[in-house]
This record gives sequence, C-alpha cells and structure tokens, in this order.
Amino acid sequence: MKRILLACGSGVCTSTAARVKVEKILDANGYKGQYKMEQCKIAEVPAKSTNFDFVISTTMQPDGVKCPFVSGLCFLTGVGIEKTTKEILDLMKK
Amino acid sequence: MSYILGFFNFIQGLGANVMMPIIIFIFGIILGTEKGKALRAGLTVGVGFIGLNLVINALGANLGPAVEQMIKRFGLSLSVIDVGWPAAAAIAFASTVGMIIIPVGLIVNIVMILTNTTQTVDVDIWDYWHFAFTGALVAISTGSQMMGVIAAVLNMIIIMVIGDYTAPGVEKTLGLPGVSLPHGFTGAYAPIAIVINKIIDLIPGVRDIDISMEKVQKRFGVFGEPILIGTSLGIIIGIIAGYGIKDVLTLGITMGAVLVLIPKMASLLMEGLLPISDAASEFINKRFSKKGKMYIGLDSAVGVGHPVTLSVSLILVPLTVFMAVLIPGNKVLPFADLAVIPWMFVLITPVVNGNGFRALINGIIVLAVGLLISTNLAPLITIAAQNANYTMPSGATQISSICDGANPLTWLIVRINDFGWIGMAVIAVVAISLAIINRKRILKEAHEMEQKA
Repeated sequence: MKRILLACGSGVCTSTAARVKVEKILDANGYKGQYKMEQCKIAEVPAKSTNFDFVISTTMQPDGVKCPFVSGLCFLTGVGIEKTTKEILDLMKK
Repeated sequence: MSYILGFFNFIQGLGANVMMPIIIFIFGIILGTEKGKALRAGLTVGVGFIGLNLVINALGANLGPAVEQMIKRFGLSLSVIDVGWPAAAAIAFASTVGMIIIPVGLIVNIVMILTNTTQTVDVDIWDYWHFAFTGALVAISTGSQMMGVIAAVLNMIIIMVIGDYTAPGVEKTLGLPGVSLPHGFTGAYAPIAIVINKIIDLIPGVRDIDISMEKVQKRFGVFGEPILIGTSLGIIIGIIAGYGIKDVLTLGITMGAVLVLIPKMASLLMEGLLPISDAASEFINKRFSKKGKMYIGLDSAVGVGHPVTLSVSLILVPLTVFMAVLIPGNKVLPFADLAVIPWMFVLITPVVNGNGFRALINGIIVLAVGLLISTNLAPLITIAAQNANYTMPSGATQISSICDGANPLTWLIVRINDFGWIGMAVIAVVAISLAIINRKRILKEAHEMEQKA
C-alpha cells in the first residue's frame, strides 16, 4: 500500500483536480486498491510528509519535505503529463 | 434574457441543495459528458452543499453564543463570523448570477481572445465564482439580476487584464512559464501592491530594508495547520467568553473540527464541478490556444508555495487576529479564512520582487483595510447566504469572509453601484479602457515578434 499526499494551496481545488487525474492513471496501470491518497494544504506538507511515500503538489516545494516531491502542475495545464506520469509510476514501483 | 432569468429564478426557488445537482447535470449533458457521470457529478455537488451547510451550522451554533458572551463581557464588537471562502464560493454558485456564470465566463474569455484584448485562456473555471460573488452582491444591492451579471462580466474583464499584465512576473519570480493567474481574489491585490511598492521606493532608508524569510516557515509553521489554529482559537474565545473548562475544551475541539472539515466539504463541491470544468477548459483550450503568445490561466493556488508568500502569510495569521480586536470599526472575527491569506500574496510577491519586508507591509495594509471592507459587506453577504438557503446562527450575528468579503475590487464594484447606473457606467469605462490598453500592448508585442522572426 502506497500512501500518497496531494497538496495545493488550500487542499481543496487544484489538488482535487490532480487527485482525480492521478487516480485515473494509477487505476489504468493496475494499481487499483493499492494506494491511499490524502489532500492537504502546502503549509501542512513538511509536518505530514513523514507519514507518506511521496507527495504530488500543484505548487512549489516548501522547505523540510521529508519524502520524494513530484510537481503536479501538468495536471492543470495539460503540458508534460507523460513525463510526470512516468515519475509517479516509478515511485509506485519502489 | 428576462425569460431565461425567470426560468433560473424558478429552479433557484427549489433551494441550492436541489438546484445545483440539476444545473450541473444539465451543463454536463450539454458539454457532452456521459449521462451517468453527469448525474454523479451533480449529486456530488449536492453532497458538498449539504456537507458545507452542516459544518457552517456547527460553526455558527458553537461560535455564535461564545461570541455573544464575549461581546457582553468585554464589549468586543466582533459580531460578524468569518465563515470562509468555501461557504462564499457555495453562496456565489447558488446565486442567480452564479448559475449562469460558467457559460457567461466562457463567452467573455472567448470574445476577449478573439478581439485580442487578452492573451489568457482561462481554464480555471472553478474560480469564476469570484466574479459570480461580486455579481450576486451587486444583484442584491441593486435589486436587479441584470446589473449583477454586468458587474460579474466587468469584474472578469478587469481581472483578465491584470492576469496578462502580471504574467511576466509570475514567470520570473514564481517560476511558472506560460501561466497567468486571472484570479478574482489574488488579482485585486496586484494594483495595490504596485502602488505601495512605488511609495516604498520613494522613502530613503526604508526602501533598502529586506527581511529574510528563511527561518520563519519553521518557526511559524503551526499557524499553517488548521487543526491547531482552530482548536487554539476556539479555546481562547471560550476563555474570553468566560466558559467553564468543559465548555472551553468543547469549543476548542469543535472549532478545530470545523476548520478541518470545511475544506473536505469544499473539495466534494470541487470534485462535482470537475467534469464540467474539464469539459469547458478542453473546449476553450482546443479552439483558442494557437494564436501567438498565449498564457494558460490557472488558479493562483499554484503560486502559494513561494517561500515569501507562505512565510509572510503565516506571520499574518496571529497579526490579523490582533488587528481584528484593535482596529476601530471592525466587527469581523477572523476564523475560517485565516487559511487563505497566502492567496493575497501570490501576485504581491512578484510585484515586490520577493522582498519579505515589503510583502509584510503590503499584507498589514490590505488586511487592516480588508477587515473594514469585510465588515462593510457583511450585511449583503448575509443576505446572499440566506438566499442560498444557509441557516444563520440565531440572534443578530452576521457572516462574512476575509477572502472575497474583504476583496477591494469586489467592494469597489458593489459600492459604486450605490450611485445608481452612473457607478456601473464608470466601472464599464474603466474595464473597457483597460481591455483596449491591453489590446494595444498585445498587438505591439505580436508585431515585434513578427519582425524578429
């Protein structure tokens, strides 16, 4: 079971958009039921990151993140989704 | 137009909880979303509405009486509860203007792109609620839905121009190339920051000050965690209200719960809107993004992570609470929107070039004025909330928000309508002039690019 943290400014809007898209990608790659996701505000990431395998964020990386950090900006702009998808799938394999 | 508005008035009579699922379902079908998916999306929005309503009720029912006690014991006049932007967004989308804001917003964006008055393809459909919010308040204060729609359109035009104008700074300071932030709340603070920044430039000595924000994030980190903020504010208010230990702790835990639950409910609302906003952004992205240099318009949430933005906002959380108590005339008790202070800074940070001291000065000024604006708009917001079927806490308590309730541009557009149609005409002239100036700049840039090529 991988624990994935999804972060954006409020933990509401853009992180929801990214979550729905990441779920689709993971399910399509056979990871259905093998991950748990949680959304939060970027300001909470340093404190929460110890309990997660990696974090996907639609905003910049703050100091003190204690797990791998993936930029999820592509899920909003639609540019560069393939590269990020590969990054996420690699992290799922670890 | 009046027939359409009449039809919407009927659906609106059903109440937001029933109306929003129906509207979202219909939009979904029109945009070609699969039936089952559209239905689920609509119902999810309904769940979000009911969930938000429950949490806001818990907030009012617990915080309301404590606030009354606080007022009785110490004469603190903080009788307006800050219910936060998620509630404001829900109220905006549930208003008559809000129901048609998505198609109206798309049309405004398309017309602006076709007339070269903007370079932004605004795929951030969700944040159209800011324009709807302004529109809803104008509709209430003027009694005319038509005026409300016009206000929303003008608000959007002004914000789109600000988005274009600030895009180079977004690229340079925030490191987001090809992105602009036409965000109704964030955008409003850019012109103010430009003025304040110019003034600071003129003051010898002060203009050289910069504060390093490196350590701040660590030290003030707790102010970014809603569960801790909510609980401690609850406990402090309970103590000031003169509650016994049991009630103090109960209020603390409940307020912590409210701050954690509000975003979860809002996220359901967003999830329901997602298929609509995806379809709409794909529609506009496909058809209109291939003309010269274009920006993709995103939610300014993508810029919130900048260290200066986060640090200054964290410092301002406790400062805002102090200011609320100290500033004469303020009636707003800051609460739920303490979490959205970073949004104010997303464009202020590039304007002041990442200077922590200037960002802080900007923040103190806009928040101090913001509290008074929020107090001033509270009666209108309370009516809008009642129109959206939100049950108000008993007594004379009003609600407001520090997000759009304190938005200077919203306030200006709403209050200038107190002067009748002349006010709206002034806003229209300003919006259209800005659009024309922007057009000249865009055409000049395009011309230069052509000559280089």
